[in-house]
Amino acid sequence: MLKKSYFVITLAMVAIFALGACAPATPDCASEDVFCVGFVTDVGKIDDKSFNQSTWEGVELAREEGIADQTKYIETIDAKDYDKNIAEFGDANYDVIITVGFALGEATYKAAGIYPDIDFIGIDQFQAWEFDGDDSTNIANVTGLNFPEDHAGFLVGALGAMMSESGQIGAVCGTDLVPPVWRFGEGYKAGAAYIDPDVEVSVIYHSDVGFDKTFTDPEWGATTANSMIDKGVDVVFGCGGKTGNGAVTAAVQREVYGIGVDTDQYFTLPEAAPRLLSSAMKLLTPGTFDLIKLAKEGNLSSGNAFGTAAYAPYHDVEDEVPAEVKAQMDEIAAGLIDGSITTDVPPVKP
Amino acid sequence: MVVAVGGQKDSPLLIITSMLATTIAVATPLTLGALSGIFCERAGVVNIGIEGMMLGAAFFGWLAAIYMNTIFDVAPLPSLLVGVLFAMLSGGLFALLHAVLSITYKVDQIIGGTVINILAVGITGFLNRQLFFEKGSIFGGQVPHAPGVLPRLQIPFLVDIPVLGRIFDQQPLTIAAILLVIISHYVIFYTPWGLRMRAVGEHPRAADTVGINVSFTRYANVIIGGMLAGLGGAYFTLESVPSFEPLMTNGRGFISLAAMIFGNWTPFGAWAASLVFGAAQALQINLQFYRELIPDQWAILQNSYVVGLAPYILTMLILTGIIGKTTPPAADGIPYEK
Repeated sequence: MLKKSYFVITLAMVAIFALGACAPATPDCASEDVFCVGFVTDVGKIDDKSFNQSTWEGVELAREEGIADQTKYIETIDAKDYDKNIAEFGDANYDVIITVGFALGEATYKAAGIYPDIDFIGIDQFQAWEFDGDDSTNIANVTGLNFPEDHAGFLVGALGAMMSESGQIGAVCGTDLVPPVWRFGEGYKAGAAYIDPDVEVSVIYHSDVGFDKTFTDPEWGATTANSMIDKGVDVVFGCGGKTGNGAVTAAVQREVYGIGVDTDQYFTLPEAAPRLLSSAMKLLTPGTFDLIKLAKEGNLSSGNAFGTAAYAPYHDVEDEVPAEVKAQMDEIAAGLIDGSITTDVPPVKP
Repeated sequence: MVVAVGGQKDSPLLIITSMLATTIAVATPLTLGALSGIFCERAGVVNIGIEGMMLGAAFFGWLAAIYMNTIFDVAPLPSLLVGVLFAMLSGGLFALLHAVLSITYKVDQIIGGTVINILAVGITGFLNRQLFFEKGSIFGGQVPHAPGVLPRLQIPFLVDIPVLGRIFDQQPLTIAAILLVIISHYVIFYTPWGLRMRAVGEHPRAADTVGINVSFTRYANVIIGGMLAGLGGAYFTLESVPSFEPLMTNGRGFISLAAMIFGNWTPFGAWAASLVFGAAQALQINLQFYRELIPDQWAILQNSYVVGLAPYILTMLILTGIIGKTTPPAADGIPYEK
């Protein structure tokens, strides 16, 4: 009796796992003529109006442009499934597999070893070997798509410094153990100093809790932002997931400017929209598209590729931003791209 | 006097004021959680489910506020107040479950509390996903625009004091928590209700002999405790930030238990302990502003997490009896058998 019920439970569990996997049925991806791009999200939905969605739009663009013949995505429900989800595409002989987010870096490395013929593109996965010279971690089929966060931070730091009336601006960030977050913060300081070295910049990192918590603690973000505002800060840049969102929302409630991060948060954080000055953006869609194109041409090299940083439109506060500030922002953005302005922020924290 | 720190020029008074204001605000859920624990344990029921009650209340209060605001088109402020009410109700319901388990069925009370903690994580995580992240759900697969947070209340006259006035510019739940400390103290020590509660917690057989309904007294106080924890949960999603995040209570329920013990099961003691914990959090934040102030021989303190450890070390010292002795109610955690 007992044995039988175990059998039934096991059978049920197998059935559930089989259903959950939902293998993409694409036998033709193994063929030379069919170019397939698989996309594994970080935990979250494909239409998250943020990282996943912007990257996926780059993949879809590649399909519309005729570069990719077949594109599919798998939404990761739980961090434990990273390996399994990547393997879905690996086993189906996809040509390119894109994984989104710093957290998938390790799983991507592992999978690249198992499927040496597939090109892996890791968004926000910094390939440290290019800098530390440790060639043993160089895997030939992994390319990290990174963004000059220091540029994005520089842009909004400059904007904040120009828009601040009190001469004090702040940033509330996730942990500085994640290089992109640290670069946002350092870029922010550099941007403010570029406008006026006397502007006081406080960048506060949430480094005193578990790694996963640093980006999902909006209450801490709000408390920290409030504490800054008490001291006269009137522009708050939130860089670090939900923690940053908490800070930006708190800033907007106190009627000072908030600045978003990664994508144009005017659309992702409606609570903050009325006083959202801008967002420090990573242009994920063109960055992803370009790498897929390179992969198709067979020119994708391992190591780090760099996308472009930008700042989001002013939206609701358009009328409050003086024309000369707008003009100067255009100049700075152009200067960062052509190299006439440098942030002097190293790629990793020294 | 002005302290110039790495280009920052803030008067010490401003720094202290800001820290006090932060301390009082972040102590809110801890204070309410500790009061919740006091009501339960003074009546003889150990409640380690405060964390779960807070988390559940944070979610359901937020959900109710969004529902009122989005689906029924109610203005933001009434929506938020309905949210607070629902937070208290859901805290009360979780407590009812705890009461049924531990009073009627005499389940080990630690297990009962653990059940609530696990249940709350599961329910809120599942519903959060189903309601806001699945296509075809009532909110169309995305988190709707929240009705904001409870507005700040400026305490008349006090708020007009230069610089220091900021301390009296707080949100309603923070003020409510302080009032509830005073009310709880009065109820527990100066009313027949409080006397019965304490009698049941100290010596239920004696209480029963003089005609006090032990079961009813315990049920009522556990539910009141649950509602207080629910109010503490409302702080997270209705007062601090207008959003819900799985596991967002982040251990505050357990810290409030420590505050309750630290405060020797008295409202004022627990409040003082909550303020100590709150001050540690305020200090952690402010330390990052003024890191340069710390002299080099104290370099270890420049790491904000070292300061963050202080309240926990203090708690351990208290619990091990080094600093002082605390005495729980005599019948705490023991089911009553007639």
